[in-house]
Amino acid sequence: MGDYRYTTVEEMPPLAFSLESTRNIPTGSWRHVRPVYVEKSSPCQIACPAGENIPAYFELVRQKKYREAWYKILEDNPLPGVTGRVCYHPCEGKCNRSPYDEPVAVHVIERFIADKNFREGKFPSVTASPKSAKVAVVGSGPAGLSCAYQLARKGYRTVIYEGEHDPGGMLRYGIPSYRLPKNVLAKEINDIASLGVQIRTDSRIGGNVPWSELEKYDAVFVAVGASQSSGLGIDGEKLTGVYSGVDLLHQLNTGGSPKIGSGVVVIGGGNTAIDAARSAVRLGKEVTVLYRRTRDEMPAVPDEVNEALREGVRFEFLVSPVKIKGRQRKVTEVDLIRMKLGEPDESGRRRPLPIEGSNFEITADTVVAAVGETPDLSFLPYSFLKKGARIFVDADYLTGVPGIFAGGDSATNPNGTVVNAIKAGKEAAASIDEFLGWRTKSNGAEHQLVKPEDINTFYFPHETRIKVPRLSVGPGTRSFAEVNKSITEERAFQEAERCFSCGSCLHCDVCMTFCPDVAISKDDQGEYIIDYDHCKGCGICVNECPREAMDLVEEDTQWA
Amino acid sequence: MGQIKFDLPGEEILSPGHFACPGCGATLTMRYVLKALGRKTIVVIPACCWSVIDGPVPYSAAGVPVFHTAFESAASTASGIKAGLEIQGDHETTVVAFAGDGGTFDIGLQALSGAAERNEDFIYVCYDNEAYMNTGIQRSSATPFWAWTTTTPTESPKAEKKKNIVEILAAHRIPYLATASVAYPDDMIAKIQRAKEIKGTRFIHVFSPCPPGWKFEPEDSIKISRMAVESRIFPLFEVFNGRDYKLTREPAGTPVRDYLKSQGRFRHLKESDIQQIQSNVDEEWERLKGKLTFQVESRGKSHLHGVVDPERNPPMRRAIRK
Repeated sequence: MGDYRYTTVEEMPPLAFSLESTRNIPTGSWRHVRPVYVEKSSPCQIACPAGENIPAYFELVRQKKYREAWYKILEDNPLPGVTGRVCYHPCEGKCNRSPYDEPVAVHVIERFIADKNFREGKFPSVTASPKSAKVAVVGSGPAGLSCAYQLARKGYRTVIYEGEHDPGGMLRYGIPSYRLPKNVLAKEINDIASLGVQIRTDSRIGGNVPWSELEKYDAVFVAVGASQSSGLGIDGEKLTGVYSGVDLLHQLNTGGSPKIGSGVVVIGGGNTAIDAARSAVRLGKEVTVLYRRTRDEMPAVPDEVNEALREGVRFEFLVSPVKIKGRQRKVTEVDLIRMKLGEPDESGRRRPLPIEGSNFEITADTVVAAVGETPDLSFLPYSFLKKGARIFVDADYLTGVPGIFAGGDSATNPNGTVVNAIKAGKEAAASIDEFLGWRTKSNGAEHQLVKPEDINTFYFPHETRIKVPRLSVGPGTRSFAEVNKSITEERAFQEAERCFSCGSCLHCDVCMTFCPDVAISKDDQGEYIIDYDHCKGCGICVNECPREAMDLVEEDTQWA
Repeated sequence: MGQIKFDLPGEEILSPGHFACPGCGATLTMRYVLKALGRKTIVVIPACCWSVIDGPVPYSAAGVPVFHTAFESAASTASGIKAGLEIQGDHETTVVAFAGDGGTFDIGLQALSGAAERNEDFIYVCYDNEAYMNTGIQRSSATPFWAWTTTTPTESPKAEKKKNIVEILAAHRIPYLATASVAYPDDMIAKIQRAKEIKGTRFIHVFSPCPPGWKFEPEDSIKISRMAVESRIFPLFEVFNGRDYKLTREPAGTPVRDYLKSQGRFRHLKESDIQQIQSNVDEEWERLKGKLTFQVESRGKSHLHGVVDPERNPPMRRAIRK
């Protein structure tokens, strides 16, 4: 018997053994489909009119990089503190989390980011080289601010003309401070001005500033908004005690104290109507909102309607005013008729039809008419193409006059919301840039949309949506202080964690963990690399990816 | 609890380029086992898929010494290698017998029983793909009730229930016994690491899906494994000393129908057959619950907390796009 320990391979008796790794075998040649990392679009991002990259800034919030998150929003929207408070957040309506439990509270996080950067945040400075072209913007509402901001970022010299004493347009004069505190708006307007945007207030084009002033600019963006109340078109509209919603809010927002009685009737179902009603409650009045359709058809943001109910506003649906009655030129009663819903009209909502003989009266000493607003275009000097009451613009926001663009509520196809005005400003800025010969607009690569069924919900525990702390306002509140409060960093983090991050890789390592072929690894930067020499294309990584950030594509097998 | 980030411990020892079919569960099992045990490991492989997967001479995928042995002798070879190491004074190296269900439930059972009775010091990992797969999908005693295989065609599918290997091993009163699934890698690695700390015969029964043998698309391997756990067909638990049972994940209790419908080997099942299988599964689950001595402990920071809606399994879909 010799020593049973062999010190070299040569000493061993002949037997089959392997010393090489299978790494030498290119099993990638078996593959007929190939996994690839892709970036897809989340539905929130698509739904956001301003096109904010929501998954990206949620990830930055999770990493506690609040300034970077703010900068991410600022690429598309210079007013996150405003939209975080007043936007109707269509993003949340499309959130893929909705069918699973509750949508992610995007607007709460947007506001959190703005609040976080309210004091110390340094607004990003312009990196583009200055351009000689000058652009005038008429109106400092959300559309005008957004356009001026985007142009300033592109290096243009931009001047905003504002007829009122303070900038902000409807944001300042139309939205009550319990929804949007004035200092928040002022801060974000100052930020925009810090880029070199000149805001000339008390400069009304067609008023104290002639239209010809604009001729020295290379391009003009008209965004005067819609501030003229549509009349009710019924008898008694001229009586004392009848206000338009816009006027009432304007007076309140300029520190005025409109003479309104104790019984207030608000006519309309939009945001102006609700703002007027909630403001009247705060002045200690009994308020009834009359709307000719039902609650489901109300154009107002549902949250706002709920708030109004909480604060004691009464709602009367399916009624329409017929006549406002008065004595000694003062409102005493409103004559109403009951309505029923008929066939859908061109807006898709069911048309209200009066029910014959159902007239009744309610007593009121103040009537607020808030049934829609149209732009005041009397300042336009020569015949602009119009459509209805609005300036006609094409898809590039160009009016019939070369070099003059228009957008927001004063132009065609308005949506009447802040975020759509921001969108119009942003897109018009890109058109103006193109018009001035700088850059052709990119139409953006078509991204695939991530659908709810694409999400691998196994990886997402159910979590309830954040409840925003609120000022305790009940019936009869007198306070114009902001109702919704800021949230803590911890709660923001928890809410950000709920985001599926649809279509954006978060480096969760699921793909790497489940690869039977050990074909996925990470490089120095932590990015994944697929070893296509060995990947057999089983597709587990793609199927397991929690957030649809991978695709399996057919291989071109012709090479063989 | 927020976003899931996997962070599996251990070195990547398994090499790519092995000969497993795409989507192979047995390969993932080996990958996790090697991650959990590290390089000081010797693997004993009887005739099974892994005889092929490890690669042709002169190549080997495992990255640690592998001893290929005869079909019936995984447990006895592992016993011998462990004894040899002990004689050499190596008390550190872990010996793992890595066998399929054929080499465990059927052909290797007496060797395993003998070794378990002697409480030989090795870990026995059975990757259970529920038939003799690499020889052409012949039935084994691990094949589930009413499943198709090439020897139990759809005209007369397997009429016998799956052998309960865990109870057989539990009856040997071995110190540690666990079930594991490739869909729950952190759980599997934790169990293997726990097994490594224990002396004596340790047995890990791994549910290991086989796309060509079960007739499903390879990309669904993990989803099918998850469904098996969540529908209580393959509950995840541990048994200490053959007596103390402990569940490691409370299954959601999804209907077995979704699991069965996801695989071609059950395509012939009629509604009444599905009901029969559901009641068999429910009965086994009640029996297991009766044995539990510990409450569920959630282990692992991420994956075990995953959510399955009892009414609805995560959707199955074809991911291929042109």
